[in-house]
Amino acid sequence: MMKPEEILKLIAAARGTAICVPTMTTAPAWRKIAPADLSVGCVGFMGGASALGLGLALGAPDRRVIVFDGDGSLLMQLGSLATIAGAAPRNLTHLLFKNGVYHTSGSQETPGGQGVDFAAMAKAAGYRNAYTINTLEDFKKRLPGLLTEDGPILVQLLTGLAESTPMTAGPSTPFHQQVAELHAKVGAR
Amino acid sequence: MPESVPSSLIIDAFKEIFQVERRGKKRQDPLGWIISVPDTHQKSVLAALDKERSLRVLTCSTEDDANAVAAGLYMTGEPVIVMIQHAGLYASVNTIRGISMDGRVPIFYMIGLLSREKDKDPKDSRHSMVRFAEPLLDVFSIPHARMEGPDDVHFIAEYYRKSRERKGPAAVLVGLETA
Repeated sequence: MMKPEEILKLIAAARGTAICVPTMTTAPAWRKIAPADLSVGCVGFMGGASALGLGLALGAPDRRVIVFDGDGSLLMQLGSLATIAGAAPRNLTHLLFKNGVYHTSGSQETPGGQGVDFAAMAKAAGYRNAYTINTLEDFKKRLPGLLTEDGPILVQLLTGLAESTPMTAGPSTPFHQQVAELHAKVGAR
Repeated sequence: MPESVPSSLIIDAFKEIFQVERRGKKRQDPLGWIISVPDTHQKSVLAALDKERSLRVLTCSTEDDANAVAAGLYMTGEPVIVMIQHAGLYASVNTIRGISMDGRVPIFYMIGLLSREKDKDPKDSRHSMVRFAEPLLDVFSIPHARMEGPDDVHFIAEYYRKSRERKGPAAVLVGLETA
């Protein structure tokens, strides 16, 4: 199993000017790894990271948008796979951190657990490509391509649990402040 | 008595809003975005929008998607209007709260009151989905107006501006099916 923090460190080093959308257990770690980058967390509306990323990708077609989704989160808004496939943004990389549980609320198993194949779902919904990666070495090797390949692509990452969750990590930047900061950096054109 | 509003008047109102938003901006194409979960009440508008090359319409699977997509577009400086039905309002209250209210994202909604009886005020409707839409918006302190005929089309620009000024949601309810 890959450690989410190790995956995020590799992304931070390779992301360039990409806008990142962390959610749930990737959010605290991303704050530490990339505290001042172009990011907006999906906070307070679990399930919305992929659609938020879609809006960003359509509005900023000259940048890559990388969504750090969770399996429990995506299940809450699974129809977004079809919404994204229909809009077909070429600049969207949808990373799915799959650990099979709702880590934040106490690690209850997600419906279907590890048996749910989100890569197959994304492909069937109409994503340009979908992959499953289960080793850090493989992820490191393929990452440059995942950030430049025509999207939308979904990458199912088989991971262990993050070191902290939004409930254990302490207060974060309020969502409205993150929105205002990203709007000021990207939207004021 | 309320009257149906022709789709052309509504689309002209959308375009005027977007033209103002795009003034002096680098990106001009598309003029603006309509994010929709198809609403039977506004189907003539959606049909007419299909022929509008300057506006981009994106159909979403759910109203939760529509809210999040609209927020992403807003953060990148894109002008956007969300078209949904009252049932979609009920379905997405947590997302509206999380994104537009707590996130202070200005989102303007056109909400169709499907099954609203022509001879009744919505509060007297026999359909719960018609009766509860305006009270629900009141509970969330979301400013709203009801478009009851062609003379009310000005509400569209007014409430769009209101969403921008207050950095939050604002809505126009479509009283009768559009023509």
